[in-house]
Amino acid sequence: MSIEKTRIPIWLGYALLGIFWWGLWGFLSKIGSASANPLQMQILFTLGMLPVAIGMLLQMRGKIDRNRLGISYGLLSGIATGLGTLGYFAALRQQDASVVTPLTGVFPILTVALAFALLRERLNKVQLGGMLLALAAIIIFSI
Amino acid sequence: MHWIIYAGVAILLWGINGLFMKLGTNRISARSMVIWVTAGFVVLLPWMWKVTSLAGLSTKVFLIGLIAGAVNGLGNWAVFACLEKGAKASVAIPLTALYPLCTVALAMAFLRERPTSLQWIGIALAVAGGAMLSYESAPAAAPQEQMSCAR
Repeated sequence: MSIEKTRIPIWLGYALLGIFWWGLWGFLSKIGSASANPLQMQILFTLGMLPVAIGMLLQMRGKIDRNRLGISYGLLSGIATGLGTLGYFAALRQQDASVVTPLTGVFPILTVALAFALLRERLNKVQLGGMLLALAAIIIFSI
Repeated sequence: MHWIIYAGVAILLWGINGLFMKLGTNRISARSMVIWVTAGFVVLLPWMWKVTSLAGLSTKVFLIGLIAGAVNGLGNWAVFACLEKGAKASVAIPLTALYPLCTVALAMAFLRERPTSLQWIGIALAVAGGAMLSYESAPAAAPQEQMSCAR
């Protein structure tokens, strides 16, 4: 209710929290990747995610959602992210990161296009402008 | 295979993943999503282990990698919660893709890295872009989003 009063949507708070955690992940990856190859880091990331998943399971007292379609999308999300990362690493073996990373950084455009076509999501003009600025920022950060 | 094909595969899979994330959180909780997404990552683990090994890594790097993984898992949970609470995929995915902004800030604070002029432009664009992407009242978007995805 306090959210309505302040007019800050609750999802935005979670989005900022996500940016913080992922930003910290990027920072730690930056330190770790000085002495480990990307695939070794990916293995460690996967192993590190396990305690978080187990913690969530314990928090839910084992009562995990059983919606089959939801579970399928969850599994597909993990596999797609993992395989996408492996594709990214494979590209890095042949080309410089300064070329590959800005290119792969445009992936949100595809999400926006798919959400437009399949979920019928519509962005207002300010958000569209924001998406373009965000993409430019993502590309700049990855150069 | 040419590198551009690998990069294309990454764009395709990461882009589609944004859709999977939204469709998943429309049906199961953010915490359940974390569990199943982690399971999806684990599926790839045997193959990765076949290609490389962790031999020779120092304890420090090992710990950094594990902590980074845990932090990544928490980030996944936050983004799933963001989608679960009604954020559009077309807003949440580009917005949270701005996380390098936080990485740059942490590198400035702890590694004393000085951003280049171009990175300063990136920081300004990220802040402006993030604020503009967030320009929406969530309560109006949430029910519509849920209904359009219900099957």
